[in-house]
Amino acid sequence: MEIQDFSDDIDVKVKKYQRGESADLEGLKDKKLKGQLANREELYKKSANAAAKAEKWLMQTESGLLEPEGIEKTWRFSQQSIAQEVDVASRKNQFDIILPDLGPYTIDYTSSGRYMLTAGRKGHLAIMDMHTLKPVKDFQVRETVRDAVFLHNELFFAAAQKKYTYIYNRAGTELHCLKEHGAVLKLQFLKNHFLLSSINKSSHLRFQDITTGQMVGNYRTALGRSDVLQLNPYNSVITSGHSGGTVCMWKPTTSTPLIKILCHHGPVTAISFHPNGHLMATAGMDKKIKIWDLRTYKTLQTLPGNAKTLSFSQKGLLAASTGSFTQILQTSDSSNYNRYMIHTMAKGYQINRIQFRPYEDVLGIGHSMGFSSILVPGSGEPNFDSWVANPFETVKERREKEVRVLLDKLPPESVMLDPTKVGNMREAKRKEKKTKAEVEEEKAAAVAAAKSVAVKKKTKGRSKPSKVARKKQEGIENAKRGFVEENEGRDKKKQKRITEVNELPIALQPFVSKKGK
Amino acid sequence: MAETKRKKTLASTNSLKRRKGGDKEKNWKKGPHLPNALQKQLNSLNPTDRSDEEIHSDEDIDVYEYEENIPEEESKKNRRYDPVDNFEYELPKDFEDEDVASDDDEEEKGDSDEEKHARMLQDITGLPGDAFEGKKKKKDVVVFEAYPESEYNPSRDVLDGDGRITVDDLLNPLHGKPGFSKIRKDVQRMDKKSMSIQPPLPKPQQQKIDRRSAYVYSKKKLHEYEALVKKNREAPTIYFDEDIDVGYSTVGAIASEFRPRTEFEKKMDSLINGKELSDAHKGDGARLLELNKVSLEDVKERQDRLSKMRNLLFRHELKAKRIKHIKSKTYRRLLKKDKSKAAEIEMNPEAAKELAEKEEFKRAEERMTLKHKNTSKWAKRIKKRGVDVQDDGTRAAISEQLQQHALLTRKRNSMHDDESSSDDSTEDDDDDDDISGDEDDASKLKLLENGKNRTLEVLGEDDDDDMPKSGVLSLPFMVRGQKKKKEAAEEEARLAFQDYDSSLKQLDGDEDFKDNAGDSLSGRKVYGVAQKKQVPQSKKKVKANTDNYFDNTDSEEDDDDDDDTMDKHGRTTYTQKDVNIDPNILREESEIGHDPLFKSFDDIDKDEGPKIEYEVSLSATNSLKKKRNRKDCNQIKGKKSQVAEVASDIEEQHGDDDDDGMVDGIMTSGMDYELPSQDDLIRRAFAGDDVEEDFEMSKQEILNEENPEPEKPVLLPGWGQWTHIQKKRGLPSWMLAEHERAKKKRDQDLNRRPDAHLKHVIISQKLDKKAEKLQTKVLPYPFKDKEHFERSNRMPLGPEFNPATTIGSLNRPDVVKKPGVSIKPIKLRKHH
Repeated sequence: MEIQDFSDDIDVKVKKYQRGESADLEGLKDKKLKGQLANREELYKKSANAAAKAEKWLMQTESGLLEPEGIEKTWRFSQQSIAQEVDVASRKNQFDIILPDLGPYTIDYTSSGRYMLTAGRKGHLAIMDMHTLKPVKDFQVRETVRDAVFLHNELFFAAAQKKYTYIYNRAGTELHCLKEHGAVLKLQFLKNHFLLSSINKSSHLRFQDITTGQMVGNYRTALGRSDVLQLNPYNSVITSGHSGGTVCMWKPTTSTPLIKILCHHGPVTAISFHPNGHLMATAGMDKKIKIWDLRTYKTLQTLPGNAKTLSFSQKGLLAASTGSFTQILQTSDSSNYNRYMIHTMAKGYQINRIQFRPYEDVLGIGHSMGFSSILVPGSGEPNFDSWVANPFETVKERREKEVRVLLDKLPPESVMLDPTKVGNMREAKRKEKKTKAEVEEEKAAAVAAAKSVAVKKKTKGRSKPSKVARKKQEGIENAKRGFVEENEGRDKKKQKRITEVNELPIALQPFVSKKGK
Repeated sequence: MAETKRKKTLASTNSLKRRKGGDKEKNWKKGPHLPNALQKQLNSLNPTDRSDEEIHSDEDIDVYEYEENIPEEESKKNRRYDPVDNFEYELPKDFEDEDVASDDDEEEKGDSDEEKHARMLQDITGLPGDAFEGKKKKKDVVVFEAYPESEYNPSRDVLDGDGRITVDDLLNPLHGKPGFSKIRKDVQRMDKKSMSIQPPLPKPQQQKIDRRSAYVYSKKKLHEYEALVKKNREAPTIYFDEDIDVGYSTVGAIASEFRPRTEFEKKMDSLINGKELSDAHKGDGARLLELNKVSLEDVKERQDRLSKMRNLLFRHELKAKRIKHIKSKTYRRLLKKDKSKAAEIEMNPEAAKELAEKEEFKRAEERMTLKHKNTSKWAKRIKKRGVDVQDDGTRAAISEQLQQHALLTRKRNSMHDDESSSDDSTEDDDDDDDISGDEDDASKLKLLENGKNRTLEVLGEDDDDDMPKSGVLSLPFMVRGQKKKKEAAEEEARLAFQDYDSSLKQLDGDEDFKDNAGDSLSGRKVYGVAQKKQVPQSKKKVKANTDNYFDNTDSEEDDDDDDDTMDKHGRTTYTQKDVNIDPNILREESEIGHDPLFKSFDDIDKDEGPKIEYEVSLSATNSLKKKRNRKDCNQIKGKKSQVAEVASDIEEQHGDDDDDGMVDGIMTSGMDYELPSQDDLIRRAFAGDDVEEDFEMSKQEILNEENPEPEKPVLLPGWGQWTHIQKKRGLPSWMLAEHERAKKKRDQDLNRRPDAHLKHVIISQKLDKKAEKLQTKVLPYPFKDKEHFERSNRMPLGPEFNPATTIGSLNRPDVVKKPGVSIKPIKLRKHH
C-alpha cells in the first residue's frame, strides 16, 4: 500500500517535471527526426525522473497545516494557541512592532524572505533582518512615502515619495532620484527583467530599466486614478486595478493592455496572484472578492466581503484584510476557497498591507500603528532552492548571484502572457496597420516612382518642357494623394472619439458648465 | 636462305660441341635447347646414343627438334685447337684460359684480323679505322627475293599452290627460332580441338561488365559497414576522441621536457642552472645581490653605447622626417624617377651597361673641359665680385656647380685597390706603382693558371685516350706496360696540380679581398679620396648658406648629405614662395568668407574698409541673433499657450504626447496639479454608475479599431440621382452585396476572437512588434509539424531546472572531439 503510494507520488512529480506531454511521434514520416525526437524524449524522461527523485529525497520537509479534530474549526485557533504548539524559532516570528507616529506602514520582503522593508506613510523607511530581528537600517525621509519595494536584492530599494521616486541603498544613501515617474502611488519590481514599474497619480504606467536607466515604457492607462498595481510572478505581467472596476494587464512594450477585465462594479482595491500564475484574486469596493482563472478569464469563486489588501502565499493560501481584520482562505482543489484562519488586530489598527513571507509560515501585516507578523501554518514553501532564493545567503553568494542574475537579465519584450510561447511559432498575423515610418517610406517610394517615369517624345509641341514638367508634377501629386487621404481619415476618427467622450449621460447634461466648453 | 640456315646449323653444332667439350663453355647458349626436365626424361628413355636419336627426332618426335650436325671436319672450328695431337696432356683443374673473350671464336678471330687490317689501313692512309668498317656491316643483310614478302608480293609457292596460306606456311620461317616448339605445340593442340573462339567484346561492353562485377563486389563489401553506419547515424552523439593521446596538456609538462641543444641554449642553461647561482638562490638574498653587482666601467660603457645608439636613431628619425616633409613636387618626381631608373638598371643589365657608358662619357668630358669648375664667364665675374656678396640663389648655384664638378671628376677606385687599408695618403702615393705591381701579379697568376689548365688537360686525356686496338701495341703485355706508365704520369700530374693549387692559393691570400671588392663593385663605381677631399669643401660652402643641424657628420652620410643640401635649397625657395603667397591667399579667403554675410544685410553701405565692415557685420549678426532669440521665445510662448489650450480643451490621445507637457524633464502634470473641474468631479462621483456599459463601449471601440466596420455604400453626390426612378432604385446591387460580404466577414472575425464570448474581457489582438523576434516565423528545417516543434522545445535545459546528473546528456553536442585532432576515417571492427 505504502509502496504504491510512493510510486503514485513519484509519478505525479515526474509528470510535473516533464512539463507536459510529448508530441505524438507515430505519425511522423521523417525517420531521422523521429529518432532524434525519441532520443530527446528519452532524455527528458530521464531528467524528470531524476528531478522527481531528487525532490523526493532531498526536499523532505513538508508543509504543515492546522488540523482540526472533531468539531474544532481551524479559524478558531488564535495566535496564542499556535504559539504554544510551535518551536521557539517559529515563535520568534510572532511579533508586533508598535510605531504609532509614522504609520500606516507598507511592507515588502526580499525574494528569499530574509529581509523586510517597511515604509511608514509619514516618511519612515527601515530594513529589517528577519533572522536576527534587528534593523539593518532605519531612517526618515521626512516626506510622504507611498510605497517601497526591494530591487533585485536587499542592497537596494526604491521608495515612492511625495514628488519623486528615489532609489536608496541598504545604508540609506540616496542613489537615484527618478523624476520622470512623478508622484508615484505604487511600485513593483520585475526581478527577471530588472524593470521598475510604477503607476502615478495621473495613472501613467511606467517601466524603467534600472540597470541602464532607460525608460522602457510610458503608458497612459486612461482609466482613472489607480493605486493598485501587482506583478504576476509567473509571467511578469503587470496588472493594474482601476476605479472603473477594470483590471488591466500590461507588458512593458505595448501601449495597450494585453487583457482588460471588468472585475467589479466599483473601484478595484486589491489584486493578488497565485504563484503558479493561473489564479488571480481581486477585491473591489462592491464588497466582493473574486477569484479568477487566468486561463479562461472567468470567475471561479466570488466571496463576499471587502478587502483593502490581498496576498497569496507560496503554497496558495489567500489572505485578505480589511480594517483591523485579517482572514486567511485555504483551498483543497484550488477552486473553492474556504476560511482557514482569522486574525484580528487591536481595535483601531488599520491594516494597510499584508504579505506572506517567502519560505516561512509567516504573514506580515503593515498597519497604521506599525507592523506585525503572525504565524500561518502551511503558508510558506518549506524547501528553498538556493538556485532561486537562499534565505541563508552569504555575502559572496549574494555577489555571485547578482552577477549571474544580471547576465540572465531578460529583455523587456520577453514579458508575455504565456511565457512558454517564447521560441515557438508565431501565430499567423492578421494585416497590421502600417506605422508612420512605413507610410512615409511608401510615400517616398511612390513619389520617386512618379518622378522617374519616362516621358514619351511626342510631336507637334506636345512635349514642350513646360508641358512635360506639368505632367510630371501631376503624376507626383497623384502619387501623394493616396497617402494624404489616409491621414485625413485617421484624424477624423480621432475627432469623433473626442466628441464621444465629451458626450455625457443625459442626466448629467445640466451640470455641464459652459466655461469648460 | 640456304646459306643462313647453314650458318645457324653451324652455330648449333658449335654449341653442342662446347657442351661436350667441357664445363667451361657452358654459358655459351645459342641454339635451341631442351628444358632440363625434358632432357632428363629423354636421357632416361635412351641413354645410349643421343645423336642418333636426335637425328630421328627430326622426323617423328615432336617433343624436341634438332638440326642434324655437320661433321666436325667440315666445320672450321677445328682450327681453333692446336694441330698437335697431344692426347696425353691434361689441363689442371684450376686452369683458366687467359683471353677467353678475345680468341674463342672463329668469327672473333676474323674480327681481330679485320681489326688488324683496319689498323694497317689506318697507318697507311692516316684515316680513322671507322671509315673502312662501313662495308662490313652491310654484309649481314641477305636478300632472298626481289621484293620483300608481303600480302602484295606473295611468295612463289603461295602463287603456285592452292592459294591458301596455312598455319604451317607461317610457322616454317620460324623454324629453329627460340620458342618455336612451343608455338607449334599450341598450334597442334588447337588443330586437335578445333573449337572456335569468340572475338573479344567491344571495350565499352567489357568495361560495363567490369563495372557490374566491381559493383557487386563493393556492394557486398560495403554491406559490412551498414550496421556501423546505422549505429553512428542514430547515435545522438558521436565521439571522436576515444583513443587519442594528445600528449602534453600543460605548458609546464612541455617545459619540463626541455633539453638545451644548441650552443646558445647550452650556454644559457649553464648560466641559469650554474652552481653559483643555484647556491645563491638556496641561501639568503645577500649572495644574489653580490652577483648582481656590475662594474662601473661596464655600466658606463653600456650607457655610452645606448646613448650613441639613441643619438643615431634620433638623427635618423629627424632626417627621415625632414625628407618626408618635403613638399616639392619636382623633388618627389625626380626621386621617383631615380628610383624607377635604379630598379630598371637592376633588372636590366643592358641598361646598366648603357648608363655606365654614359656616365663614363660625362666624366671624361668633364675632366677634359672642366666645364663646371667655375671657368665660365659668369662664374668668373661672380668670383671677382666675391661670393659672399652674392645673394643666396647665386651662391647656391655656384656651389651646385662645384659639386657637380666634384662628382664628375672625383677619382675612381680601381678594381685592384686595397680598400681595407684605412689611411688614404699611402694609397694615394701607391697609386701609380700599383698598376705595375698588379701587372706582375697578374702575369704570375696567368702562368700558374696555364700550368694548371694544361695538367688538367693531360689528366682529362688520360681518361679519354684509348689504347690502340690493333697492332703491336694492342698486345696484352704492351697494354699492361702502357697502363703502368700512364698511372705514373697521372700521379706526377696530380702532384703538380696540387702544387699549382697551393701556390695559387698563396697568391690569392692577398687577392681575396680584391675579388670580393670587385664583386661588390660590379654594381656601381666607387669613388675614392678625391670625393672625400672635395665634398667637404663644397659642403662648407653650403653650410655658410644654410644652417646645418649636425656638426659632426659621419663619413657615411656624405653622399646623402649632398642630396640633402640640394633638397634644402629646393625647400627654402619653396617656403619663401609660400610666404610670399600666403597673405594674398589669406586675404582672398577672408574676403570670400565674408562676402555672403555682407550680401545678407542690405542696410550696411559697402564703402568702408573691410575691417570695419567685418565688425559691423559681427554686430549685425548679434542683433539678428538676438532678434531671432526673441522671436523664438515668442513662438515658444505661443506654442506653450497653445499647448495649454489644447490640454484644457481635450485630453491628449496618446501617451507619447505627454512629452510635450514635460519641461526640462520635470513632470508638469504631477507638479502643478490642478483642481479637478466640475465635470471631472461629477464624473468621479458617479463613476461606478454604469461601469458595464462603459466597458462594453470601450470594447466595441477596440473591436472597431481592430476589425473596422465596413464603410456604408454611398454614391458620389449627384450620381444616379437625376431622376425619380433612379432614386427609387437606390444603390446598385453589387455595392450592397459587397457591403454585406464585408459585414459578414467582420462578424466572423469578431466571432473568432478569443474574447468573443467573454463579455467582461478584452483580449488585445495587437501584436507586439518588439516581441516578434522571440518567435519563429517559419518552422525550422527538419520539422514539418508545429506541434512537434513546440513540444520539443518545452523542456528547459539549464542547470536551474535539471538535476546535475542529466544536464550533461541534455546539452551534449552532436559531435564530441578534441580540438586540433583530425578525424580518422571509419574503421570496421569485426565482432567474432
